[in-house]
Amino acid sequence: MLGVFAAIAIAAPVFGSPLHQNLIGGLTPTGLPLGMSWAHPLGTDALGRSELARLAFGIRTSMIVAIVSNVTSIALGAAVGMAAGFFRGPVEAVLMRLTDVGLALPYTLAALVIAGLMTAGLTRVIVIITALFWAYPARLVYGEVLRLRHRGFVEASEAMGASGVSIAARHLAPHMFPLLVTYSPLNAASAVVFEATLSYLGAGINPPTASLGNMISDGQSALSYAPHLLLVPAVAILLITMSFLLIGEGLKARNPDLKRVSWLGR
Amino acid sequence: MARTLIRRVAFGVIAVLGVAVLAFLLEFVVPGDPARAIAPRAQSAAVLENIRIQLHLNRPLIVQFLDYFGELFRGNLGTSYVQRQSVTSLIGPRLLTTGWLALAGVIAEVIIGGTLGILSTLYPRLRAAVAAVNLTFLALPQFVVGLVLLLIFGFRLHMAPVTGGAGPAEIVLPALTLGLVGAPWYSQIVADQMADSLSSAYVRTAVAKGLPDRYILWRHVLRNVLSPAITMIGMDLGAYLSGVVTVEVVFGWPGIGLLAVNSLQNLDRPVVMGTVIVGAIAVVLFNLIADVLRMYVDPRTREEPA
Repeated sequence: MLGVFAAIAIAAPVFGSPLHQNLIGGLTPTGLPLGMSWAHPLGTDALGRSELARLAFGIRTSMIVAIVSNVTSIALGAAVGMAAGFFRGPVEAVLMRLTDVGLALPYTLAALVIAGLMTAGLTRVIVIITALFWAYPARLVYGEVLRLRHRGFVEASEAMGASGVSIAARHLAPHMFPLLVTYSPLNAASAVVFEATLSYLGAGINPPTASLGNMISDGQSALSYAPHLLLVPAVAILLITMSFLLIGEGLKARNPDLKRVSWLGR
Repeated sequence: MARTLIRRVAFGVIAVLGVAVLAFLLEFVVPGDPARAIAPRAQSAAVLENIRIQLHLNRPLIVQFLDYFGELFRGNLGTSYVQRQSVTSLIGPRLLTTGWLALAGVIAEVIIGGTLGILSTLYPRLRAAVAAVNLTFLALPQFVVGLVLLLIFGFRLHMAPVTGGAGPAEIVLPALTLGLVGAPWYSQIVADQMADSLSSAYVRTAVAKGLPDRYILWRHVLRNVLSPAITMIGMDLGAYLSGVVTVEVVFGWPGIGLLAVNSLQNLDRPVVMGTVIVGAIAVVLFNLIADVLRMYVDPRTREEPA
C-alpha cells in the first residue's frame, strides 16, 4: 500500500496541475466547488482546482516529509543518545538534561515558535519535526548503549586500544540498527500527522503549494456544503499513517523484545 | 522514596527552566517588531521608538533576559504587549477553561479506551475489531477527528453547536475528540495488564477458591491496570493543560492553546512565554503527581528505577 502512495508521489504531475484554476468550468454556476465527475474524479475545490491533482501533490509532500524528517530526526537522536551513553560524565549530563527539555516541550507551541523563524515550505516542516522528534530516539539509544556498554565485546575492543569513535561505529551502531528500524515507521507516521497539523495551523506548508494539512484547512471553510474537501485528504492521511503503523507492527513481530507493545493484540 | 522524589522535583525544575530559556531565546530571534504589531498604522519612527523604550525593547538582550528571569522568580510573568493586562490574569481564567476540557478529555479517553481494552480481553472475537479501531484513531491527527465529528454532529445532525465558545454543550465534541484519539493507548494498557494478571497465580487461586468472576475481575484484575493507567492520565493531563492547541483551534474553545496561537501571531512575547512556561510546568507537575500516586497504589514501583 505504501508502494502505491510512493508511486502516486513520484507520478504526481500525471494527475494534472494542482494550481490550475478553472473558474468557469471548475465551479458550479453559483460558484460552489464541483462534486465528483469524469472530468474531475474527486471534484474541485473552492478555487476550481482539481482535487485529484492537489491530492497527488499533497501525498507527495507527505511522503517526502515522512522519509526525510524520519531520517534526520532519528540520526540526530541516535547521535545524541550514543554520545551521552558512551562518554558519560558531563557530556552525558548535559545531553540527557537537554533530552528531558526536549521531552517536556509543549510540542505544538514549540513548533509554532520555531515556525516564526523560517519561511513557509518543506524545509521548515522538516526542521521543525527534526527539532522536536529527536528526543525520543535519543532516549531509546541511550538506554541501549548503557545496556551494552559493559558487555564483553565492547570492553575487549576498548582494552585493545580501539578509539571511542571506532567502538561506537563498529560495535555499538550495528546493535542500534534493529531498534531504530523498528521505531522508524512509528516515527514516520507521527511525522505525517505532525506535518498535517502544522500546515493546518498555517505553520507548515502554505497554499498554494498542496499539502494534506492545508487542503483540510481549506476544506474546513467548505464544511457545510462540500464535505468531500475535508474527507478526501483526511482519508489519504489515514491510509498513509495506517500503512506506516502496519509496517511497524510487522517489524515488531520479528523483533521479540518489542513484540509486547504491539497494537494488534498478542 | 523521599530521595527519589527530591531528585524528580529537581530534574523537573531544571526541565522547566530549560524550556523557559529556550523559549526566551527563540522569541527573540523571531523576525518581526512587536512595536509594529502594537501600532500597525503608526507612521513616525519616533512613535515606534517610544513604544520600544516603554517595553524596554531597546535594551541589550542580556539585560532583558536578566530582567525577565528576575521577575519570573518573583512569580511575575510580565504584562501583555497587546492586551495591557498582566499575563497571569490573562492566563489564569484560560487555564481553567483548558482544565475543564483536559479533564473531560481524559475522562472520555479512560471510558472509551477502558471499554475497548476490556472488551478485547474478555471477548476474543472482538479483538480484531478493537485493533482496527485503535489503529484508525492512532493514525488520524486530532484536528481531522475533530473536524469529522464537527461535520457529522454539527453540520449534518445539528446535535452540537458549531460556533465555538466554552459551555457544557460546547465541551462535548472537543472532549470526544481527545477521547477518541487518546483511547488506543488506554485500550492497549488495559488489555496488556489484564492479560498479565489473568494468567497469574493469584487469579488462578481466586478462581480455585470459587470466588465469583465479577468479583475477581474488579478486585484482582482491574486493580492492576490502575498503576500504568495513572501514569498515562498524569502525562495526558499535563500535555492537555499545556494547551490542546489544535483541538482548541478547531472548536474555537477559548483556552490557553488558542491564547498562545493568537499571541504568537500578534508577537505578544510575554504572553507566549507565559503560556509556554505554564505548559511546561503542567507537563512536569502532572508527571510527578502521577508518579507519587503510582508509588502509593503500587508498592512495587517505590524503588529507584535502575
